[in-house]
Amino acid sequence: MLARNETIFKWFLYAAAAVACLAAQGAVLQRITLWGVIPFLCPLLAAIPATWESPAAGTAFALAVGIACDLLLPAPIPCFYTLIFPLAGLFASLLSHSILRPGFLCSLAAAAMAFALTDGFACFVLWSRGKAAWEAGASVALREFCVTAPWIIPVTLLFRAVFRRTHPDD
Amino acid sequence: MKNFLKNNGLWILFAGAVISVALALMSYFSTTSAPLVNAVNVMVSPFRSAYTAVATWFNDKQNYYRDTTNLLEENAALRKRIAQLEADLRQAEDDRKENETLRDALELRKQRRELELESAMITERSVTNWTSSLTLNKGTSHGVESGDAVIDGTGGLVGVVREVGLNWCTVLTVVDTDTSLGAQVFRTKDLAIAAGNFSLMEQGRLRLELLPAGCQLLPGDLVQTSGLGDYYPSGLVIGTVEEILVDDSGAASYAILTPAADLSSLTEVFVIKSFDVVT
Repeated sequence: MLARNETIFKWFLYAAAAVACLAAQGAVLQRITLWGVIPFLCPLLAAIPATWESPAAGTAFALAVGIACDLLLPAPIPCFYTLIFPLAGLFASLLSHSILRPGFLCSLAAAAMAFALTDGFACFVLWSRGKAAWEAGASVALREFCVTAPWIIPVTLLFRAVFRRTHPDD
Repeated sequence: MKNFLKNNGLWILFAGAVISVALALMSYFSTTSAPLVNAVNVMVSPFRSAYTAVATWFNDKQNYYRDTTNLLEENAALRKRIAQLEADLRQAEDDRKENETLRDALELRKQRRELELESAMITERSVTNWTSSLTLNKGTSHGVESGDAVIDGTGGLVGVVREVGLNWCTVLTVVDTDTSLGAQVFRTKDLAIAAGNFSLMEQGRLRLELLPAGCQLLPGDLVQTSGLGDYYPSGLVIGTVEEILVDDSGAASYAILTPAADLSSLTEVFVIKSFDVVT
């Protein structure tokens, strides 16, 4: 059990790491188009930190990331990321606590799940508006995940460093 | 050799000095080029001419081939253009007569549309793979409002302002899935809806939907905003018809449009802050 100031410090470091990733997304990644899509780090920020934390904490952090994304990015509906990212965080945390130990493989699986949820939800929103594009959506989702997958490594290293810095006994 | 230089060295030196002085004097008093330079260039001149001639021959052949190909293409395009212009001319003549008759009949005054424009720079392009948006450097402090139409320098419609802040605004482009505009085909005057489609968004195209039955669209037809409802000014060019297709039910047709604005290379756009239709 961390002390109050240690908990504040931990979440401050998590937030700083997420801000660094969002800055990299805005400054560099969204100017790079590979295979017709841009790498998209936001689902990673919802999923990967959650693999190191409890389901409640992971979901809460993913919710905060979702709110930040909704403030920064255009979305098909208001609160799009706020609705879907907590779910991605919860699933990522449950995955790391029941099936895979936190690490690169777990991050990869959690990221895949986060992309499936986010892009699946986007397809669902399009379908609900009578503009169904399941095939094109699946194609974009697959390419988006493939293009973003290499970034799982640095993002995992970053959040693992934060976790180890704030949990020296684990 | 050593003896030769020993016996005649002074004479050679003297002769060299005389020649040098003579060349120097000739160079000094010459009004064209130095004699030595002149001599060397005279010698290499035929070689220069030869390789220049060869190069010119190759260039001529290359230009001839390129010009011929271009002329053939240009000729075909011009023939097509002439046919189109003749058709347009006939149509315009009919329209003019009809217009005059209608104006006279209804005593309509000439319509005048006034646009109040605000120039803006694009600071950011699409930030996700699921939307087609632009972020501009103008916002409420410059009079920009949500719902304002955005055009490029040629008057082609770029999109519509979705969100606006103090000094920024986000524009959803015409190809975004959330964009839906009242449209009119310039040639036939048919009304329809120009709407973004996710499958076409990546290709930078959009759909012209809800076409009236019997609508006779042709590839190349110009599509512009209808202005109905006064949400956007009329006459802003949305794009041109690329192909006409039938939907999955087979009951209705739709067209694929290529936007008039080149969304990928835009750097500066104009926000239509207000417009007025004076009748």
